[in-house]
Amino acid sequence: MELINSKKEYDVIIVGSGAAGGMATKILSDAGLNIALIEAGPYFDPANPDQQTQLKWTWESPRRGSSVTRRFGDFHMSYGDWSVDGEPYSSKDETNFMWWRSRMLGGRTNHWGRIASRLGPKDFKCKDYYDLDENWPITYEDIKPYYDKLDKLIGVFGTKENLPNDPDGFFLPPPKPRLHELYYIKGARKSGINVIPSRLSVLTKRINNERGLCFYCGQCERSCSVYGDFSASSCYVIPSLKGGFVDLYTDSMVREITTDKNGRATGISYVNKKNGKEYKLKSKLVVLGASSCSSARILLNSKSSAHPNGLGNSSGLIGKYLQDTVGTSKSIFVPELMNRKTYNEDGVGGAHVYTPWWLHDKKLDFPVGYHIETSYRNLGMPQFGVGGYIPNDLNKFFGLRVGGYGEQIRKDVKKYWGSTISLESRGGAIPDINNYCEIDNDKKDKYGIPVLKFNYNWADSEFKQAKHAQDTYEEIAYNMNGILIGDKPGKDQNYGISTPGSIIHEVGTTRMGNNPNTSVVNKYERLHDVDNVYVVDAGPFVFKGDKNPTWTIMALAWRTSEHIISEFKKQNI
Amino acid sequence: MERRESLKTILLSTLGFSLSLEGCISPIGEDISKKVWDYKYGRTPYEKSRDEEFLNSVFFSESEKKTIEKIANIIIPPNEFGDIKDAGVVEMIEFIAKDWSTPAHNNYGENVLRKGLKVLDGLCVDRFSKNLVDCSDNEIKSFFDEISYQDDISEDLSEAASFFATYRYMVVTGWFTSEVGMKDLGYKGNIPNVWDGVPDEILKDHNISYDEEWIKKCVDQDKRNETAVWDSEGNLLT
Repeated sequence: MELINSKKEYDVIIVGSGAAGGMATKILSDAGLNIALIEAGPYFDPANPDQQTQLKWTWESPRRGSSVTRRFGDFHMSYGDWSVDGEPYSSKDETNFMWWRSRMLGGRTNHWGRIASRLGPKDFKCKDYYDLDENWPITYEDIKPYYDKLDKLIGVFGTKENLPNDPDGFFLPPPKPRLHELYYIKGARKSGINVIPSRLSVLTKRINNERGLCFYCGQCERSCSVYGDFSASSCYVIPSLKGGFVDLYTDSMVREITTDKNGRATGISYVNKKNGKEYKLKSKLVVLGASSCSSARILLNSKSSAHPNGLGNSSGLIGKYLQDTVGTSKSIFVPELMNRKTYNEDGVGGAHVYTPWWLHDKKLDFPVGYHIETSYRNLGMPQFGVGGYIPNDLNKFFGLRVGGYGEQIRKDVKKYWGSTISLESRGGAIPDINNYCEIDNDKKDKYGIPVLKFNYNWADSEFKQAKHAQDTYEEIAYNMNGILIGDKPGKDQNYGISTPGSIIHEVGTTRMGNNPNTSVVNKYERLHDVDNVYVVDAGPFVFKGDKNPTWTIMALAWRTSEHIISEFKKQNI
Repeated sequence: MERRESLKTILLSTLGFSLSLEGCISPIGEDISKKVWDYKYGRTPYEKSRDEEFLNSVFFSESEKKTIEKIANIIIPPNEFGDIKDAGVVEMIEFIAKDWSTPAHNNYGENVLRKGLKVLDGLCVDRFSKNLVDCSDNEIKSFFDEISYQDDISEDLSEAASFFATYRYMVVTGWFTSEVGMKDLGYKGNIPNVWDGVPDEILKDHNISYDEEWIKKCVDQDKRNETAVWDSEGNLLT
């Protein structure tokens, strides 16, 4: 294949423009380093009216928002989902892993639920507390200053709670709970379960003059046109492009990191998706922020005589220890919420309340806990499927006839609108060397790049965690005067545990450690094997507990970026 | 950005988009351009061309559309907010018939939506010796009564019942996702506003109240525009 070489040598090539790559772009370009930022998807700005879906009405879509071209519906802001045209992946044997990719500037931060949780001290010392195989090589104290800086730079609402493993931060004030959330609080507290305000990266209060404030449309997953929520495109990349130190390459699919004869990185090669041609770019240093599995894939595909098993893979651990969040959910019908008087309760684009893990000192048959998120769009804008396939299915709880048509169906839809609450657990997965992605030697994507094959199984203790969550829902439902909708999933249904990958929290494929034999990157996220390649996405996570990974990705990427700047200053690069 | 400014930006943005879209669709003819004009919702180039292709092609015959409209008006009868036509229900079903006509959807348009009409029509021919469009509402209701309740469907009508349920699902969706249907439902959102909690009278109705400790920590909406400043312990000072 024809290769087109660029003569320019950048200080740093950053692969991926989401939480990780966007963060690195901001910090490194602010320091005056020359950056090439490589993004596999198109340019995206939530403020661009041609791309905006925020505040569109359901009827503005001819399919009324149904999920034909976008998995979570027409208005959801992700270009790409668990399947991307021309970019397949496979699963080994009977296993199944779902791999989400958002091909766009800002990546998944555009559709993300903005849940901005910090890992706690115990999550870093996971071997000590949960008997897992390794601790992180860093502690909460090492990363706390970066979480603090992030809170102030980007904004996150929440409250000081002094909980043992859910550290407080520099919070904006949270919004008041919605009605169904008050029912949840009542039911959960009666069950002895704590509920606190959510911690979301949404501007309930001004933090600077560059970003607009939340105007409570409840549509963060559409990415906010006034930048009232955080996305890497709106808050990092687009402002950084104005600084003059960043060249942005969109629609560019990285094939591999190129190396010299000593095995040091010299840059990357990528395929321009628009013309199909392959290009090379040179740099002194490469930062991968392509997402855990994409970065692992690039490293594994970067084979050379110096690195026959892939770049940085002397340990053989790239792709191993893949973890997704353990999830299981249940919908609850709350008769007291029938026949609601309606008002605008869109609120922010997420639940206003949640339950952090509450059983720290209890002896349980699984090591790692979970938090509970609640549904939030109870009186939300109707989209395709409103009322469900059988709009008055809940009639069965009253011994009334299910079905019918005419005025009665219209009344029934109104009667039940907003009367159900769904609860979703988000639990820590156990790092396991047998859960992994690797290169599928039989398959290439449409750009000719070898694709990933996944192997992932939940552990016994993860099923037990899911069972515990289902038992908890049952108890909370009872205490809310609610009724579980559908049978409680038992052992035969694996307690409703999520398909691996479906919670979209992949971490752990290039894990961090002090020992080059048991880890891929060091505590500054630099490959042990190569001194000018860093991985700043969730790949380096040793463990993430029950926490949503984005805030930690960014705090680590910030810390690593400062380290890179100091290395440049010391002329080590 | 000030709230007032953000609203202005949103307004201007929408307007700007409409103008540019008008420019690029002129070749497809006035009727279609008007349709595409209606559907401006942030599509990628691929999604836009897919929409335009479907909006510019025909799936149901005129008589099939009349049949759908007749069924739809019985499933959700007109009221003070409008009727099935106002809600664009037939257009939605026409679009979905093409949109779901892929192998992944098992050619839903042909295998489900069109076949469903045939089965329901067949029932009318059997019973009243005429097509559904020519039946009276009472004739149609007489067999809807037999196929629309889950607990009471005779075996020979099970196929018709399942097609009926599909059309009910489509019509209910089409109605409540339309402008008139959302008014009927009472949906009040999708507009910039300042959320300051559940209205008092609603709290009273539900005999529920906000916890005072909790509310003290929540946003004071009068101060939302003051830039956040914290002390070194993370206590908000503004």
